[in-house]
Amino acid sequence: MTSDEDQPQHSLEHLQAQTLAPPPSPQDMTPIAIAGLGARTLEGLGAGAIRIAEEVGGMVVLAGQVMRALVPPRIDRRELFKNLYKMGNRSVPIVALTAFFAGGLMMLQAGPFVIKFGATALAGWGAGYAVLREIGPILIALMFSGRVGANNTAELATMTVTEQLDGLRALAIDPIRFLVVPRVLAMITMLFALTVIGDFVALAGASVVARAMLGIDWSTMYHSFADNLAPYDFLHGIYKSLAFGFAIAMSSCYFGVTVRGGAVGVGRAVNAAVVAAAVSIMLLDFFLTYTTG
Amino acid sequence: MKRFIVSGIETLGAAVVDAVHAVVELWLVYVSTIAGIVRGLSRRRGGRGRPKGEILRQLYYIGNKSFIFIIVTLGFIGMVMTYQACLQLSRVTGDYSQVGQQFLRLIVSDFGPTLTGMMLATRVGAGIAAEIGSMKVTEQIDALRMSGVLPIDYLIVPRFIASIIMTLVLATIGAVVMYAAGGLTANYSWGVNPNLFFDLDLARGRHFALFAVKSIAYGAAIPVVAGFCGLRARGSSEGVGWATTAAVIGSSFAVIVLDFLISAAALFVTGGDL
Repeated sequence: MTSDEDQPQHSLEHLQAQTLAPPPSPQDMTPIAIAGLGARTLEGLGAGAIRIAEEVGGMVVLAGQVMRALVPPRIDRRELFKNLYKMGNRSVPIVALTAFFAGGLMMLQAGPFVIKFGATALAGWGAGYAVLREIGPILIALMFSGRVGANNTAELATMTVTEQLDGLRALAIDPIRFLVVPRVLAMITMLFALTVIGDFVALAGASVVARAMLGIDWSTMYHSFADNLAPYDFLHGIYKSLAFGFAIAMSSCYFGVTVRGGAVGVGRAVNAAVVAAAVSIMLLDFFLTYTTG
Repeated sequence: MKRFIVSGIETLGAAVVDAVHAVVELWLVYVSTIAGIVRGLSRRRGGRGRPKGEILRQLYYIGNKSFIFIIVTLGFIGMVMTYQACLQLSRVTGDYSQVGQQFLRLIVSDFGPTLTGMMLATRVGAGIAAEIGSMKVTEQIDALRMSGVLPIDYLIVPRFIASIIMTLVLATIGAVVMYAAGGLTANYSWGVNPNLFFDLDLARGRHFALFAVKSIAYGAAIPVVAGFCGLRARGSSEGVGWATTAAVIGSSFAVIVLDFLISAAALFVTGGDL
């Protein structure tokens, strides 16, 4: 079994002992025992809070280093184009499939209304609006985080645990400038581009589902999209995707370069990176929606 | 030109062959998991199957450890969705009386289980693949086989059972949090009366049936896909990284496809009156 640093081994045994031991009788729950339980809970909460603060701080510092490295923009061009291709072109199929299903799903959700009220002209309104503003960018970002972010963490983490980053430093090459900056730029650019593609695929998916399952004409769908969607709906999703790309890049690079401890550590770093990316996508989405409508 | 076409066909063919192999293997893992559950039922406890208390431990790791993650993510997305819906309505009609009822219908029949499933695919799927993948590359899986234990019975069956239970529980909690967060947002930002928002008139039994079906389907899919990716890990730390990546992608995509299939089937079964 893998031993977890942040989930100490004794907590496992403790859990087992707790679940296997007979439940404490009311007489056993003395005030001291309750106080002990409270102290342990507080301790756990505090440790979690410190860990989160450490991770967020580390990402902010890394972001600062990336910004600093960009000031005279000396970027390794080969590394940048390699990453653009690997992260962008190779992700098109999975993003297109996700977007297609996302568009279809929104149409399926709008379906009952369309059938009930016969409002075929409004079919594209609900589906298109939800896809362009929320579901499209979020689902594409989540898939991107899973495919590209996780892959990038795994790659950087493998380089870190095999001491290749130290090797670069020994050759007087700054690993941030050489490895992290091209990846950050590639991820932001490519998530942006993939969201643009994905939005159109999602609208196509919605039209296909509308045609196949609800019997709405292509032209009706087209006019329904064109009449009800404003350019700003599209832009709203697009600039959110820039923020999501930045968040995914930061979390995946941070966990990649700070990994410790062999194969187990690499797995855990990837896990932590995708979780951090998912949380930051949701938080950023909320704040961007609130501040810019 | 001809060479280009031939190499294109070759690449495509290799991809198709790989995909078919992967699907067959995935299917085998799924069947073995079901068989493992049946074997576990027919045999006395503490035999050659899983260790004692393993399901409880997995319930703790899959459920309790994801609790805060699910609450935070679904809470925020609930706020965003209500905000966007009200924003759009404010431009068209300005009538918010339907927002709460429709939001509830959407949460119960789709967003609650699906977004929980997506989030769990990220967190739980990556965790399972990382753990099983590390065991695979350090040859602990071979050691299990050597001692006459079936790795699927030992590793995947407890996670499978725990994941189904905990997805159902977490989806319920997540849906409630999402609904509450949406109601608060509608009230604070758009002045929608909470009594109007928290109106359960449109909730039907079939929505809740759909909720349960989707949660169970995602809960069953995530550990199987992730365990399959973990068992396929090769090499050392790089292999574990690849396995974890594949698990996140595979289980998220499984959730989206299952959602699509189940929603389409439900629309057919109910004749559009969902």
